[in-house]
Amino acid sequence: MTMTRRSIAAIAGLAVAGLALAACSSSSTSTSGSAAAESAPAGSSAASAPAEATCEAINVFLIPSPSADAMKAMIPAFTEATGINVNVSEVEYGTAHQKALLSIQSKQGAFDVVQFDNTFLAAFAKAGALTDIGDWAANSAEYDISDIPPSLQNYGDFDGTKYGLMLSTEPFIQWYRQDIYDKLGLKPATTWDEYKANAEAIQKSGEAAGQMMGFGPNTTWWWMQLVWSFGGALYDSDFKPTVNTPEAAAATEYYKSLLASSPSGALGATGDDVTLQFVGSDIGQMVQYSGYAAGVFDPTSSKNAASIAVAPLPAGKVNAVELAGWNIGIPSDSPNPQCGWKFLEYMLGKSNAKTLLENGAAAIGRISIIDDPALQAKYPYLKLLNISPDAVVNTYPQIVVWPEFDKVASDNLAKILSGEVPVQEGLDAMQSALEPVLAKEPK
Amino acid sequence: MTAEGAPASGAPSAGSVSSAGSVSSAGSVSSAGPVASNGRLAGAPPARNWIAERRARSAVLLTLPTWVFLVPMFFLPLGVGIYLSFYDKTLGFPMEPSFVGLDNYRTDVLSPVFGEALVVTLLILALGLALQFPLGMALALLLHQQMRGRGVFRTAILVPMLLTPVAVGLMWRFMYNPELGIINWWLGVLGLPGVDWLGAPWPALFAVTFVDSWQALSLVVLMLTAGLASLPTSPEEAARVDGASGWQVFRHVTLPALMPVILVTLMIRVIDGFKIFDVVFILTRGGPGTATQTVSMLDYNVAFTFLATSRASAIGVVLMLITLPIYFLWRRVSTLAERS
Repeated sequence: MTMTRRSIAAIAGLAVAGLALAACSSSSTSTSGSAAAESAPAGSSAASAPAEATCEAINVFLIPSPSADAMKAMIPAFTEATGINVNVSEVEYGTAHQKALLSIQSKQGAFDVVQFDNTFLAAFAKAGALTDIGDWAANSAEYDISDIPPSLQNYGDFDGTKYGLMLSTEPFIQWYRQDIYDKLGLKPATTWDEYKANAEAIQKSGEAAGQMMGFGPNTTWWWMQLVWSFGGALYDSDFKPTVNTPEAAAATEYYKSLLASSPSGALGATGDDVTLQFVGSDIGQMVQYSGYAAGVFDPTSSKNAASIAVAPLPAGKVNAVELAGWNIGIPSDSPNPQCGWKFLEYMLGKSNAKTLLENGAAAIGRISIIDDPALQAKYPYLKLLNISPDAVVNTYPQIVVWPEFDKVASDNLAKILSGEVPVQEGLDAMQSALEPVLAKEPK
Repeated sequence: MTAEGAPASGAPSAGSVSSAGSVSSAGSVSSAGPVASNGRLAGAPPARNWIAERRARSAVLLTLPTWVFLVPMFFLPLGVGIYLSFYDKTLGFPMEPSFVGLDNYRTDVLSPVFGEALVVTLLILALGLALQFPLGMALALLLHQQMRGRGVFRTAILVPMLLTPVAVGLMWRFMYNPELGIINWWLGVLGLPGVDWLGAPWPALFAVTFVDSWQALSLVVLMLTAGLASLPTSPEEAARVDGASGWQVFRHVTLPALMPVILVTLMIRVIDGFKIFDVVFILTRGGPGTATQTVSMLDYNVAFTFLATSRASAIGVVLMLITLPIYFLWRRVSTLAERS
């Protein structure tokens, strides 16, 4: 018996030693990967390059989405044009960012292009996971950054460095049912007061539910838009939360009041549910990202496709517009950053922007796209991507702790919206809960 | 050790200790050694020891593939997880992780959020078991009867077990939809008001419990049906001859005999219940607020949404410590069940 234990212990020890050796050998492999990455223009100016890019294949990390599908459809043409083969790895959203970060931080050189949500830009940038592509973007005739409105040009920037290119331009816009508006003599709202009045009129008419926003797990999407519109902010320059100010309280009161003219089920609705309910049932209007347009206007998935119209987001004390959308960049450990750039240039460049859109991607707000009359007729929301220069464009807060901030805020908002706690009391609790979260933000 | 080394001939234990000390080398080499006066090889271990050694070696060899699998796939990640739980590793932070002692346990385990998640997990577990076992027993008894269409019924009962939890979650999420779902439609047909199943705390908790139970019921029925089929029929027949009613036979004969199977099934469900994740993720993401946030869901959020590897490790370690006694209880109950 003793013998057995000893033997097992010895074998286990050997196995661990073997693993340690394997780890050592893999770390030496990664060293060479790292060396390759170091020789690449990671974080440096890369004005040279695209023309010199020579490689047989690149590895691209994508997150399942219409934009990813559209790029995949263009890969054969890219390979034909450049001779570069593309291997695609797709990882579902829930674990994608963790996997990408782990891969890049272990310097395996596994990917040459990486797609990521803008909410993770700060985490990726602070972790040193991305290559500075500022010079490439500025000097590329194919990418032609001047074709992108100034308010959108810095979407993938963090601390003044460009780490990503905007893969989709998705501002919040107002969607409404033209048929219901016509019947009730309503006009698209230009202020939040008008928006609420329209919602109440629709609700009262019995034609449809008044309006739809998400009050469930993604509640912060709408709440922070309203906080910004009402003149508030989420935190100050010292990373102290400012979510219980009078402005934030007014925004939250307004947000909660909209529940009265929302369909049942709005309290549990995710971001996707908001759109699904709007296109699948009778709801007079909604506020949602423009990126949902493909599904909203598709008659096979939207029973009201023909009668849906769009308008700019109503303004409050501040004409704030929340801007979301995918980012895409080059990992800092990419063995072929120049070929990665060629891929980005091809997919997101001016020449192929229309093809990308026609392949089902959410549009990139290029001037050549949003001002094209033929495309505007086909995609009515395009003109709304040209955000007014007077508007204050707010992206998701560029802080590493944003995902936790988001979760803590939405947990507290759930209690406020369900009536479990009064607005001010709930916001005070949120303020206290967010203080330790923001204190973790690396300065 | 001494007992194992004691020679069969009853030689002094001191001598046996020393021979045991050279067991591994002497065992095979001794055949070439000098022959002692009593006919045994000098220094050779007694025959029983030699057989035991051979068995031990065979056991090691036979379990080697398991160890090769277990060490990298289980013990190494477990060790790394425990190690990380004492550091402040966060994927999005630029600095090198540093040792923080029990800080992660203090901030993330001894927190109201973890407490709430644990209560939610236990609630779903308790409500689920209260639903699954009476219903499972009733269905198992029904399936145990000789009746027409039993095969079809049995297949239908097993279907939920064959579905992936994600598909089940999506299907039920649609059915729970207050506007478009069939459940509220039926309530409307019956003249009852619709319920915001996933938008209000208690209905959401009930909705998650029900879906989890709907899928787990197959396993409960399967286990109990198998248990019933394995019971000898004579005690029941004897009880009936003695005039016991159907309920008395079930209460005093069938149920006690089935108890080991019930306990094993219960333990499996308890362990499953503690790690419930997929159904919650698809149905509610832990909402509204934290109303259905289980410990696994909380751990997922900390690991994959906040990218806080060390804090998630601490939660994982505590979850393991909570479920460990249940595992040992399950082992004990399994052994009892096998013996009975």
